[in-house]
Formats: sequence, C-alpha cells, structure tokens
Amino acid sequence: MSRFLLAASLAFAASHTLSASDWPQFRGPNASGVSDEKNLPTEWSKTKGIAWKATLPGRGASSPIVVGNRLYVTCSSGTRDDRLHVLCFDATTGKQLWHRQLLATGGTACHPKTCMAANTPVADETGVYALFATGDLAAFDADGTLRWYRSLVGDYPTITNAVGMASSPILAAGRLIVPMDNAGESFLAALDTKYGKNVWKVERPRVISWTTPLVRTVGNNTELLFAGPKGLTTYDAATGETRWTFKEGGGSVPVGVLDGDSLYLPVGGVSKFKIDAKGVAEKPQWAAREARTGYSSPLVYGGKVYAADKDGFIACVDAKTGKEQYKERVKGGFSASPVAGDGKAYFLNETGICTVVDVKADTFEVLATNELGEGSLGTPAIANGRIFIRTEKGIYALGR
Amino acid sequence: MQMRFWVVLMLLAATVATPAPAADDATTQALQTLKRVTREGKGNEDAGTAWKTLVSKGGPALMPTLEAFEDENPTAANWLRTAADAIADAEKAAGRKLPADKLEAFVKDQKFAAAARRSAYELLVAQDPSAKGRLLPGFINDKSPDLRRDAIDNELDILERVARPSIRADLEKLFVATRDKDQVELLAKKVIQNGGKVSISEHFGFVTSASLIGPFDGPESKGFDVVYPPETAKNTTGKFTGKDAAELKWIPASTADKYGMFDVNGLLGKHKNSVAYALAVIVSDKETPCEIRVTSPTSVKIFLNQKELFGRDEYHHGTPFDANVGRGKLQIGSNVIVLKVCQNNQTDSWAQKWQFQMRVCDDTGGLIPGVKQVSATDGKTLPLGFSLEKTTDKEDKK
Repeated sequence: MSRFLLAASLAFAASHTLSASDWPQFRGPNASGVSDEKNLPTEWSKTKGIAWKATLPGRGASSPIVVGNRLYVTCSSGTRDDRLHVLCFDATTGKQLWHRQLLATGGTACHPKTCMAANTPVADETGVYALFATGDLAAFDADGTLRWYRSLVGDYPTITNAVGMASSPILAAGRLIVPMDNAGESFLAALDTKYGKNVWKVERPRVISWTTPLVRTVGNNTELLFAGPKGLTTYDAATGETRWTFKEGGGSVPVGVLDGDSLYLPVGGVSKFKIDAKGVAEKPQWAAREARTGYSSPLVYGGKVYAADKDGFIACVDAKTGKEQYKERVKGGFSASPVAGDGKAYFLNETGICTVVDVKADTFEVLATNELGEGSLGTPAIANGRIFIRTEKGIYALGR
Repeated sequence: MQMRFWVVLMLLAATVATPAPAADDATTQALQTLKRVTREGKGNEDAGTAWKTLVSKGGPALMPTLEAFEDENPTAANWLRTAADAIADAEKAAGRKLPADKLEAFVKDQKFAAAARRSAYELLVAQDPSAKGRLLPGFINDKSPDLRRDAIDNELDILERVARPSIRADLEKLFVATRDKDQVELLAKKVIQNGGKVSISEHFGFVTSASLIGPFDGPESKGFDVVYPPETAKNTTGKFTGKDAAELKWIPASTADKYGMFDVNGLLGKHKNSVAYALAVIVSDKETPCEIRVTSPTSVKIFLNQKELFGRDEYHHGTPFDANVGRGKLQIGSNVIVLKVCQNNQTDSWAQKWQFQMRVCDDTGGLIPGVKQVSATDGKTLPLGFSLEKTTDKEDKK
C-alpha cells in the first residue's frame, strides 16, 4: 500500500502545474474544497471586508474559478435563459477584462431554482473551458480569444435533461473531461484541449445526474472516478476504458472526496471507504448517517468531515472514526458545497449568509455569520488570500 | 470654372458609383472557414486561426461578421457572435466608434439572421441609447423573438404612462403580436381589464380536437423506440391490438382547456409502461413551413404526413412549454399530424401525469393564416384553439 501511495503522490506532483493558490475548477484544487491559502477573511458584510465587487449580466449556480490573476465566471440571461456569458476579471482589482456571449443551441428547460449557467468552468494557465446546461461548450484563451467551440446538442441531438444539467468539466491527463449524464445520449468524453475534438467518448446510463468526476493518479495512469445513481465507475483517462466499478456512488448530486487512500462518499450520510489501486473496499470503514449532504458535497479538512444539507444542518464527524462531533442547524438551506482554508470552514447558504466555523474546535464554534444580502447557489472559490462569492447579481472578492 | 464643375461632377459620380467597401479576401476566407465548422468540432483546427484573423481586422470586419450569421447554422453563429463581441470590445478600447448608420440599417433589415440583428441592436444601443426608442416601435412584429418582446414591453410602458382613448385596441394589437407565454398572459389580462375579450387557446393555435388511441404495451418504458401501427396512420380507420390484448380503435376527443391540454389518463385510462397516439387533421390553403410544438411531461414523437419530425425520450422532469418542436412543411389541403405520447412505470405521485398539448404555428410561434384544424367529431373545419365549450383554466388554479 505504501508503494502505491508513494507512486500516486509522485505522479500527482509531476502532473500538477498550477499554483497552489489557484482554484481552477469546481471545489478547487483536487476537487477537495480546501485551499492552502493563509490569512483568509473571517468577517464581511455588505459594507465591510469587500476588496471589490462586480455586477454580473445574469444568473448562475456555477462557481467562480481563479487561475493566476484571472477570475472566470459564467452566467445566463434572457427571457428564454438562452444568453450564455463567460466573463473574465482581474482577480486583484475586479476590472472586467473580457466578456464573451454565446446563444444557446440546446434546450433551456430547467427547474426554476437553477439556470443554464450551472456547470462550473475549468481553467488552466492557458485559458478557460466553459460548459453550459444547454450543451454549449467553449474554450477561450486567457485573453478572450475563442480557441474552439462545440454545440454538444448539435453533435448529439437527443441530449436532454429538463431539470437542467450542472455537471462540471475538468482537466485530467492533458484532456478536457466532459460529463454528460442525461436522459438522452448519455456519455463521458475526453476532448483534446487544442481543438475540442473527441479523443474518446464512452456511453453512460441514460439517467439524469449532476455529479462531476474525481481524478486520481495510480502509477502512470490517471483515473476518473465518476459517480451517479447507478454507482461509481472508474475510467482510464487516456482511453476511456472502464478500470473498475463500485456499487455505491452517492446519488446524483453531491460528489465525494478523495483523500489519500480514503474515499468519502455521500452514501448513507457520508461513508468512508478504503481505496487502493484496484478499487474501493466492499464495506465502509464507517458511515455517519447524521452527516447528510443533499445538494452540497462533503468537506474533509483538519481531521474532520463536514456536511451541510438543504435544511440548514451542519454536521461534523471525526475523519478517523466517523464519530459525531456536532450537528447544528443554522438559518437557510445549503446548495453550495462548504469550502475551507486557514483553519476555517465556510458554509454559504442559499440566502447568501456564510457561517464561518473554527475547524480546530471539536464543538460548533462559529467565528462569524456574514451576510451579503443576495442569494447564492454557487460554491465559493478561495484564491490569492481571498474568498470569491458569486451571488444572484454579482461577484464579490472578500478579504485584503 | 466649367472645367472645375466637370471635375467635381466626375468625382461625385465616382464616389456614388463606388460600392461600399467589400470585405477583404482574408476576412471573406475567415468567415467561410467559420461557417464550415460542423459536428463534433470538424473544422475547429482552422476555425481558431480564422477567428483570430477576423478579429485582427478590427472595425471593418464587424458588419461582414454580422452579415455572415445564419439562423440555420447556430454553431457557426456562436463563432461569429464571439468574434463580433471581440471586435466591438477592441474598437471601444481603442476609442473608436462603431458604424452606427450601418448597424441601424442592418438591425432594420429582416433578411439578416435574427441573432445577428439582436447583437447589432445591442452594440448600437450600448453606443447610442437613443436608438432604443427610435427602433423598438418598428419591431412589434419582428421575427427576432427578443426584439419583438422588447418592442412590446416598450409599447406597454408607453401605454401605461399615457392613457390613450384607443388603449383597448392598442392592447389587442399587442396581444396579437406577442409570443412569449408570460407576455401573452400579461396582455390577455390587460385586454380583459380594459373590456376586451381574448382567447389564449386561439392565440397559441392549440389543437383542440383530435382522435386518440391506446394504450399499447410499452414494457420497461421502451415503447418510445417501438413502432406501433398508428405511427404511420393516414386516417383513423382500423382496429389494433393493444395492451393486454385489448382491441383498440381511434376515439374522437376534444379539450376545452385554455392551454389545449389533453389528459390521456382521463381519456384512455391510467396505464403504466404504455403508449398512446393522437391524430389531428390540419388543413392549409397553401404549402407552408410550420412548427408543431408539443408540451408534455413524458416522451413524445411528432409525425407529419407519416414523416417523423422530432422525438424526445424523457419522463417526468417537468412540463416546459413548447419544449418539443417538430419543423416541417404543410401541404395544400389535408395534413395528418400523429403524436406519440409514452408513459413509463414510475410510481412517484408526481410522475403520474400522462398528457399533452400541441400547437401548429410559424417559426415565431404565431398563427399561420389559412391553417385550420378538422374536428375529430364531425369533420367540420375549425380555427386552431377553437372550443365549443367554455374554456377551462387548469393552470390558473394551480
């Protein structure tokens, strides 16, 4: 096992070219929701602690992402929600650097809570890849140059999810991984980042789902762990071949967390599974039923596992034992996943209230309850010593 | 003096005779490259370079880029749309004005793609906010859904600020022009408040009379892909074997629902893993393109004159209005629309609806003059949306 772990960590280090302070994808570095940044803000309000804010041209349930000094965010607008926006800001000053628009080529039907900008984009040093719930997918260089564009519904016309799609693309093994679980032609695909062409495309169950694949490196191979209502399937990122499957996935919305040789899945609350090169242990090491997730994904940080649900409960369990530390209810439900850094965990609810919790404490120690006065569904980003929150109307950079 | 006059005249003539500067070769080639992009990124290798070339041409490339949009090629339109944005941003950053006269002429010319005209309108209004008031009154019947909507909203604002004696007639005119469901409902309410009468069902052109047949057996929710005999029906003759070996024949049905909804559970009985068909006869006084728009919480296929136009295999994820659109052509005289409506085996309380609404309209969602439905009961020709009974209002009761 130790040889496996050493190989895995070395391979990961070799492939990681982004700065540790970046937040390049849904739930940031390694999709963990955890940042190494220090001196992160604890308190803010509508009038305090805001480094900059900018008005956005539409709604979005997607998260902002940050690479270097570029912050990218997507929105959708219009009577038919068919106007799709990709915006880039200077992360330091909040100056809008560019704004590009697309017109939806797929259907725009969805549950009223969400919208067409629900998938979080992914970025690297060269630019950003933005996928929308309409199946429109575009790659822009960091300066706003359109590198390539695909209409996935134009390519595969039966794609449909009238509830609205939200799975996010990721970058793995030098390719753009596009999850497209839906009621029509369902697939996971790897696209070349230069021209956006399919490298491989594998069939998936025709079931709607909103999850995003996790990535891990095993020896020389990169694996994609893609969960859904029908369980977890692991694909070889180079070929798309199935490597192994697991009966549990964690449902169709929240996404698990990979932490070394542990996989935390939103199964029966949150369950911790041992994972090695061959797959996941049949039985969990523990299952914490009280740690319910709902829409948001769990957070593993500081030796603890956190879960926030749509009824406003925040649960904390010990990562080693699964023993409950506390479960407390705060105002409002959670759609955004909790994030953490600098010894603090941030729980942003749907009304834009963020409860900041001290992770060193074994009891529910609230450091601050911060309100921006605007609803928010997107998971915050942590980068460059700041927290970035997108609300219904705008984007806020909080901190120094 | 005479010589100078002729020189001036010749120069003037030369100026008039010179056509507007055409796009240079590189611009033309770049536009052609972007328009050639097809499925699965075919053509992306060249399109990225072409996009850069186009944007590097700056202001002179803006109008050719907008002119190159085609409504039928949305993939290319998005390449072009982002290029137009980038050109406009660069011009603004350089302190240069966009060609307002050309943009305005372009916006007014309905031969250009609706998406391009909307883009041009927004670029123009961003530079000259007064263009909005000047242009919108001309867009009340525009083929661009967004320009039309804004024009109607603008006119409504004016009507609400200035109480005209003709307000009822003005509102009725706007009601005829409006297409979006929320705006239709708003205007219907205002017309009624001002003493007028409206029929939402006739406005949308819902099929209110059809023949239904079913249930056919669709085990494991797979009936969507199975071809049952009614799928190619030309009329309502014949008997068929349905679920549980029951003998099935077409039954005439009508709806008085304001939104033209047929309740299949109520008409054919509640069945799971089943397939039903509705057949509507539409008459047209001319050959004309049409859209058959269907709203249903379950899987549907749309056929026109035995040709499949559209299919969507999705169950109980909401009932979005007009989500299923079959595009076809009506022939002169009689046309047969067959709608396949499937039901799966979900047992959840919210997954029991088996229903549909169907309308026949043009590509803006408006009525097509000279297009009517034939009553499934007595064969009489009726306007689309027409109901002999007083319409009911299930949506308003929700």
